[in-house]
Amino acid sequence: MNADSKTLDKGPVTETRRRVPGRFSRTMNDPDSKWWRFVRPVGMIAIFLTTWGLAVRLSQTDLFPGPGSVARAIVELIEKGLLAKYVIASLFRVTWGFALAVLVGVPFGLILGWYTRAFQAFNPLIQIFRPISPIAWIPVAILWFGISDLAPIFLIFLASVFPICVSTIAAVQNLQPVYLRAAQNFGLGQWELFHRVVFPASVPQIITGLRIALGIAWLVVVAAEMIAVNSGLGYLIIDARNAGKRYDLVVAGMVMIGLIGLVLDLLIRQLTKLDSVRWGYSK
Amino acid sequence: MTSRRIILIALCWVIAISLLHATYNLHLFTPRDHTARTRFRIGFLPVTCHLTCPVTDFINKKIYGESIFEPIRFNGWPELKEAYLSNYTPATFILAPMAIALREQGVPIKVLYLGHRDGSAVMVHKDSTIRSMQDLRGKRIAVPNRFSNQRLLIFRALQQAGMTVNDLELVEMAPPDMPAALYAKAVDAISSGEPFMAQTELDGYGRVLWLTKDVWPNFISCVLAVHEDMIKHNRPAVQRLVDGIASSGKWLDQSMSHRMESAQFVSKYYYNQDPRLLSFVLSKPPDRVKYTNLALHRHDFEEIEQLGRASGILKGTAHFEDYTDTSFVRDDSAVQAYAWEPAK
Amino acid sequence: MNTAVAVQELAMSFRGKRRNERIEVLREINATVKTGEFVCIVGPSGCGKSTLLNIIGGFVEATTGEVLVEGSPVVGPDPRRIFVFQENGVFPWLNVTENIAFGVRGKSKAECHENVRRYIDMVGLTGFETAYPHELSGGMRQRVEIARALAANPDIIYMDEPFGALDFITRLKMRADLIRIWQSERKTILFVTHDIEEAVQLADRIFVMTKRPGTIQKIVPINLPRPRNLDAPEYLRARDEIFQLMGMSLQVGI
Repeated sequence: MNADSKTLDKGPVTETRRRVPGRFSRTMNDPDSKWWRFVRPVGMIAIFLTTWGLAVRLSQTDLFPGPGSVARAIVELIEKGLLAKYVIASLFRVTWGFALAVLVGVPFGLILGWYTRAFQAFNPLIQIFRPISPIAWIPVAILWFGISDLAPIFLIFLASVFPICVSTIAAVQNLQPVYLRAAQNFGLGQWELFHRVVFPASVPQIITGLRIALGIAWLVVVAAEMIAVNSGLGYLIIDARNAGKRYDLVVAGMVMIGLIGLVLDLLIRQLTKLDSVRWGYSK
Repeated sequence: MTSRRIILIALCWVIAISLLHATYNLHLFTPRDHTARTRFRIGFLPVTCHLTCPVTDFINKKIYGESIFEPIRFNGWPELKEAYLSNYTPATFILAPMAIALREQGVPIKVLYLGHRDGSAVMVHKDSTIRSMQDLRGKRIAVPNRFSNQRLLIFRALQQAGMTVNDLELVEMAPPDMPAALYAKAVDAISSGEPFMAQTELDGYGRVLWLTKDVWPNFISCVLAVHEDMIKHNRPAVQRLVDGIASSGKWLDQSMSHRMESAQFVSKYYYNQDPRLLSFVLSKPPDRVKYTNLALHRHDFEEIEQLGRASGILKGTAHFEDYTDTSFVRDDSAVQAYAWEPAK
Repeated sequence: MNTAVAVQELAMSFRGKRRNERIEVLREINATVKTGEFVCIVGPSGCGKSTLLNIIGGFVEATTGEVLVEGSPVVGPDPRRIFVFQENGVFPWLNVTENIAFGVRGKSKAECHENVRRYIDMVGLTGFETAYPHELSGGMRQRVEIARALAANPDIIYMDEPFGALDFITRLKMRADLIRIWQSERKTILFVTHDIEEAVQLADRIFVMTKRPGTIQKIVPINLPRPRNLDAPEYLRARDEIFQLMGMSLQVGI
């Protein structure tokens, strides 16, 4: 009954596999087993780290750090108790900026997607504001919100709200007409139609928009923390720059941002595994 | 995993991260001292030009247990300026030409005191063949900001060497990025405030082309400025501020051991830099930067106005009386240094 | 027997691409359907039979003419007359039980549950109560849709080529199941198909349509007892008659 997706993308039948003897022979011979799914990316990262280290050593650069000094810098941050503080600060700002973007962007997108006249009125404005980089908004943010957490939260909100709004509008506009017809057939009123049919049918695409927006929000955190806040991973990078030759701290900040970005994406991808949402993504 | 559970998890996360942030970063749950509220904020950058700011803060805390003001460190000139404009920092250290330009644009700013004298340089890569201003012809030189004194300095040096600004290429760059740019030979020369210039010397790839004191003796760079309203409504606080800054300056120039001590505590607690940077700048040579004779004199500023007009950054509509207030320091020689010695 | 559906002087045309151009789709449709009847509408592709059904269902407005369902004119879709679509009518974000329960109104939770259970068994989906549509085959999805339509307890069911997307063997099975269900529930069914054999296997009466602009050229009654024997001469006679009406040869390749 269920199409087994695993069997669809195995290699050609004549693929020869080396027999690994021993207890784990079965998992290691199956190229799609959990073991290999773990080893492949980890192996790639190991290759990357080695290349980086070699490149630094061979070029004998005085300034750019190798993976070793970056690791030591991370340890230094942990010892000083700063790593936890900075990670919490950045996560706090991204949480609130993103949450506000969802609370504003999704309902607004649903309304604009459903009411053509509202869409005609607002869409050009949205398309005008969307391409303006959050960095350009920094002076405005300081003027309106001063030097506090509100300014970076505002910038992160700006960066996230447009992709969310646009995806939601597209989701509603691309709604299959057959769902609407069936729902009307069952005698659903406008409000029921909206919350029992339009919204659930749009959720997969909305979640795609959320994934993109979260990535952007986390990306913008460095720019957003350029304003004189005194904590956060973005601040760490800017401050390390001012501290002189601490490029190891700069890269340590980048590494932490990257790792947390990976975790955030994995988390939001869990949303796509919900039964009431899974149908929206092709296998 | 129903949607209700997801909403619950999301809510829990928002609450948790907010509490964590409030505890660790905002110190909302640590007991507040009430005097903190009555202090005003003052902006500064981690440069030697603004050294008297953290020094005043530190010494006051040591002597009296609390400071006159709340120092706020910024990472760049634009944020510093915007914080002043939005009145977040009613007092600030700021570039002198920038203060004059703001006044020309109608911002109610009053300069009260100087930051330091000299304390700037032009550095070249030690492997380069540049040894004089003539050698800079056709080369690229980095300056911090359109309104920086370094730009005016170079302008003046060009005038003295019989060259014009068209004979070389000026690029604007943030001071922290300049050492790396020089190392990578992306630019041929850099000029900004200390300690970024000394950093290239200390790390062995930079060489001094000239120090400010060789080209423009007693050059002023940054100034202490406050909002006009602060003078109107809180004159005593402003007087305390100027007195403190002046006393710090005198203290710094009193002895080399004072300077070395300041290098330690300023680097560690205020600038987040390596202490040997500041130690180097404050001592090699000892007159690389000076913290005395910091009262405002008309001719210093008129020189800046003139150069500013010539280089196109000032319109010439603001004059000494408009943007300064000399009433806070009547007689510079009467200023007493802080009587504080660090505990051994 | 009452008249369930009455179509009077119905015509339908769309605006064409060029100015003042009108594309006539349906012309002079007159027909009635009696309560409890199983009626099939057959015609070549593009003859407008789906459009006709959509008009009767209330989703599209005719240019001229009237449709009366149980005496009153049709102004829009109505829960007393449920439409079964060709495919993808089932809501993918709800599982089988939730889909079937979708149109059930005015019943307590226990009654609703009982109802849904009954229809799941009737369409042969026992054991798949919590399955989601994307986990089911096409035939099973259509069963869900039929169950959903039945559970809403309508007076009339409109079906627009519901088995069109299924393979041959599944189609045969679905037809048998549909007749079985219809015989127990006795709803009025209006069934559109392009498959002549299907129509003859299922219907009491068949409306045979012409090419576009479509009109009903003949109404063919099928008086065969059910289950219908596909070898019986009467069956073959009816089938051949419709073939000829639609201008088609009885031999493949001519």
